[in-house]
Amino acid sequence: MTPKYSDMQLDALRELANIGSGNAGTALSQLLGQPVDISVPAASALPLADAVEAVADPEAEATGVVLPIFGDFDATVVLLFLPDDEATLCRLLGMEPHTEDSFSMLGEIGNILGCSYVNALAAMTGLEMEPRPPETVADMAGAIVASVLATRGITGDLALVLDSELFLENEKCSLSFLMLPSHEGIGELLARLGLE
Amino acid sequence: MVRMGELATSSTEGDVLVSIGLGSCIGLALIDVRRPIVGLAHVMLPTTTTEEGPEAKFADRGVPNLIARVKKLGAIRLEAVMVGGAQMFSFGGDGPSASIGPRNEAAVREELTKAGIPIKAAATGGRRGRTIRVHVEGTRVTVREVAGTEQELYGRTS
Repeated sequence: MTPKYSDMQLDALRELANIGSGNAGTALSQLLGQPVDISVPAASALPLADAVEAVADPEAEATGVVLPIFGDFDATVVLLFLPDDEATLCRLLGMEPHTEDSFSMLGEIGNILGCSYVNALAAMTGLEMEPRPPETVADMAGAIVASVLATRGITGDLALVLDSELFLENEKCSLSFLMLPSHEGIGELLARLGLE
Repeated sequence: MVRMGELATSSTEGDVLVSIGLGSCIGLALIDVRRPIVGLAHVMLPTTTTEEGPEAKFADRGVPNLIARVKKLGAIRLEAVMVGGAQMFSFGGDGPSASIGPRNEAAVREELTKAGIPIKAAATGGRRGRTIRVHVEGTRVTVREVAGTEQELYGRTS
């Protein structure tokens, strides 16, 4: 059975995403020495096919950094960069885009941002969350997101998507920060918040 | 547009069935050998774990569902083309989830063998995502990788 989520639960998750992405934004700002803005995160429970489309144009070329989280809270963090944004970020860090080195650098950014987000959640909820090393892939956005959903065993009919945008204030550059929790992970999280 | 877990059929000239961004998912095209009747299923996982969800989500049910739907349109003898089943990530460790793409491919092939439908062409495996297009006109099937060009996998020479 796929669990359904109430508005109150989704509000609470949105607030957690807000704090998590605030932390990630601070980390990115320190890393780049640039001010970073964060959009108000969206928290939605969507049918799987809609979840893929809500995140990005499925056929658009994108670079994704995928960071699996294990522990009490099973989830996957995905950072998605569109080509122009990836190029800006690489320029700021003095790297050639779409090279082995730049992929490794983006992976490291994903790691730092993902860990700051997850640490904030862990500190608030007391849940054990263990991020694994990131993987960077350049492909169609839809293929990246759909494969994460399939690989991470999101087998129910709904996927929960926590979606934040991080913007560099001084550059035309943004990236999508997605948290895709498993239903077990979310159950655990809501239980800790007393919102089962 | 055939999205994750969905299927579609057509015998209308000019129609094109499309599944965009197949990673570990499989796009299975079925084509009638004589008439312009086609179907496309976007399979996400090998075996059914829940009754919920769209009708082509799982290979073990999605393939028979697609066969039944193209036969309803009048298809008699079918041929298959498969696209997708890539392994995009290596994490997931040693668990079965690490190899979801290859397992999807094996499950779809098994269902086709059971139904006695030959696979005429395939672009499967590897690490790249793909898009499949099934054209009713000329019953053509094409595949494209990211930033790549459209390649023809199947087509009836008229």
